[in-house]
Amino acid sequence: MSDVPIPVKPKSRLRIALDSDLYYTFRRSPVAMVSAAVVLLLVLSAVFAPLIAPTNPFNPASLNLMNGFTAPMTPNAFTGETFLLGTDDQGRDVFSTILYGMRISLFVGVAAVFFAMVLGITLGLISGYVGGWTGTIIMRTADVQLTFPSILVAMLIFGIAKGVTPVEYRDQMAIWVLILAIGLSDWVQFARVVRGATLVEKNKEYVQAARLIGRTPGAIMLRHILPNVLSPVLVIATISLALAIIAEATLSFLGVGAPPTQPSLGTLIRIGQGFLFSGEWWILLFPAVTLLALALSVNLLGDWLRDALNPRLR
Amino acid sequence: MRRSLRLAAILAVFAPAVQAEEFTWAVNTDPQTMDPHAVNSAPVLGFLNNVYEGLVRRGKDMTVEPALATAWEPIGNGEGWRFTLRQGVTFHDGAEFTAQDVLFSYQRASNEVSDTRSWFAPVSDVVVVDDYTVDFMTSAPNPIFPGSIANWMIMDSGWAEANNAALPDKENGNYATLNTNGTGAFRVTAREPGLRTVLEPFEGWWGETEHNITRAELTPIQNPATALAALLSGDVDFINPVPIQDVARLKENPDVDVIQGIEARVIMLGFPHEAETLKFSAETTDANPFADVRVRQAVAHAINVPAILQTIMRGNAEEVSQLVSEAMQGYVPELAERPAYDPDRARALLAEAGYPDGFSFGFKCTNDRYLNDESVCQAITGMMAQVGLKATLDAMPVQNYWPELRADNYDMFLLGWSPGTFDAEHPIRFLAATPNEEKRVGSWNFGGYSNARVDELLPMIQSEIDPVARQAMIDETTKILQDEMAYLPMYVQPLVWGIRSNIEVTQRPDDFFILRWVTVN
Repeated sequence: MSDVPIPVKPKSRLRIALDSDLYYTFRRSPVAMVSAAVVLLLVLSAVFAPLIAPTNPFNPASLNLMNGFTAPMTPNAFTGETFLLGTDDQGRDVFSTILYGMRISLFVGVAAVFFAMVLGITLGLISGYVGGWTGTIIMRTADVQLTFPSILVAMLIFGIAKGVTPVEYRDQMAIWVLILAIGLSDWVQFARVVRGATLVEKNKEYVQAARLIGRTPGAIMLRHILPNVLSPVLVIATISLALAIIAEATLSFLGVGAPPTQPSLGTLIRIGQGFLFSGEWWILLFPAVTLLALALSVNLLGDWLRDALNPRLR
Repeated sequence: MRRSLRLAAILAVFAPAVQAEEFTWAVNTDPQTMDPHAVNSAPVLGFLNNVYEGLVRRGKDMTVEPALATAWEPIGNGEGWRFTLRQGVTFHDGAEFTAQDVLFSYQRASNEVSDTRSWFAPVSDVVVVDDYTVDFMTSAPNPIFPGSIANWMIMDSGWAEANNAALPDKENGNYATLNTNGTGAFRVTAREPGLRTVLEPFEGWWGETEHNITRAELTPIQNPATALAALLSGDVDFINPVPIQDVARLKENPDVDVIQGIEARVIMLGFPHEAETLKFSAETTDANPFADVRVRQAVAHAINVPAILQTIMRGNAEEVSQLVSEAMQGYVPELAERPAYDPDRARALLAEAGYPDGFSFGFKCTNDRYLNDESVCQAITGMMAQVGLKATLDAMPVQNYWPELRADNYDMFLLGWSPGTFDAEHPIRFLAATPNEEKRVGSWNFGGYSNARVDELLPMIQSEIDPVARQAMIDETTKILQDEMAYLPMYVQPLVWGIRSNIEVTQRPDDFFILRWVTVN
């Protein structure tokens, strides 16, 4: 009985992940761990905002104007209500507004990067694999777009989109237009990286083999080349996420982004900036610190990922 | 040698600039045009009052005083007014001022393409008697006529015609949009729209100089916080307006002074009386609920004006129940009470009107024209939502705003009105009279409010000489406008100027900034 071999349990997915090099370097990097914790905390609180936030700041019917300008942790002079981080000029609870605002910032950021990624990968693959005139046109378009600052491109797209949207849908559309604007201004980096990697990959034996057995170019690009060019894309995506969040905040700060009735972090900072001299610092400070923490930790995480995935740096 | 001579010449030119009293001021709205007849708005008229002049002008206490006319008297039994013109006045380009310029400016300002044409609604004819006498014939006796044309500015006929600017062009602009040639105490030496406008004193001005400015520069700064920072750092000497939230803080600063006053401007909400349907409603697309007076009253009861004044205006504004403030002539003290804040009553009125669950609509608002306009509109949106009036707020810069309203692209809008004549007749003529091109009335009555009795009363108010009878007519009109909730007046906007403490200025309730009264110490 005793020589019956104990069947080797196949390693679970979790085990594989925990044994991986990536996890090892992660555990060795305190910066990465702290920033991952911050990102996780912020993302979770944004996702569960309706459960955590004491009020729903996006429902104008729930606001009481007399609560306006209440300082943090101080009872309001008229209503006697107390707010953890104070209230803004409309009597909105700053804490709730930050939670809800962060949802918009994160959603716009993630969706814009996803959009830019899909667009950039597609165009990059086609440009690299097909080459010729198609590739040239795509890459020259990308070069031209690179000469404009991306925030300018985003503002241009936003302006045009706002012009063609009927007013009654403008508020609902604003978020999607933001995503489109930031996504379109951001695809170039993805396209360039993917194209470069594709040019290298397309001459390797496995691609030639796939071509020989008669797979279509679409299938080769998607099933064979794409998985092999993904790791640099992942790094760019992470760093782009931080930039997209900042871009959204910038647009909203300039007053061309999220509407004031559905404020994102940038809108909150814009509102708060008007009260800096008058001493209501909390309206500006808390959203700004949240934006800083979010963008910084995503960025640090991206930096770490880049180093971790680069074999030469290990 | 030649070079050093040129250098010396340049030095000579700039030498006096060392003791120059330069004055820089910032406003939130750049004057849209330099043409005094193209746009009838406070930023334009207020600025151009320094450059152009009218037959009469208003003094520091708003009394009507002589300017280009030295005297005026009624003709016969109120058939018109005779103005005696000032002699020896020249325009900035040296041309002489005569009665022909008055006639020309009348024709220019009363033309149908001019925004100022309604000022001349009572005028039937203008007769040049001689070079320095002009008769204004009115279709009915008009006791307040001289004061009503204080902002009508005289332009040189020869200059305008030579530069193809005989008529104003509001949409496309012409020579007079960027260049000026008035008789005023200051002439414009550089004009860069949206950036800066430079003024220098006019040496040949007829009046006695009170100011000590050698050069003045106007810079539009849209962001109030930026303007405030510029004032605190001394980059500008004057800002208008001071953000209301910063008043308390600013008063403690020894380097700057805050000058506060009650402005003549009443902030109100307007309704689409004439519209068949709502423009921006999700579900009410076949009716216009605002045509029902109960819905308009519901809006009035839904809005907590005292709360807006307490928080957003920080106690610096006063409630108002009529189209003019208490300080104006013709204000009706007996009708001072505003509709009380009463959300239950608002809900009941809505149910009575057939909208128990309310309805959705579009609310237009400026975001750079009135003090804290966007904040106020947001607060109103929230308060209305509490009774079921679901407004979608669309706040925009003022240069896009008037065209939107003129195109009827609103279901409700915010409006500020400052009566140029300081009389209750002014808003009745512009805002309450049925729009009529021919009679030149109702030109800012965007919603097309129309009441036969008001239309009947307006000419009577304009021609009544007996103050008691006139007031009775204004009382009646005010009562109609209140009962029908033609507009919803909310509060009188405060006037808050910020200056460096070495500057002396005079504040007038019409918010016009008069450079002649500025002293730099």
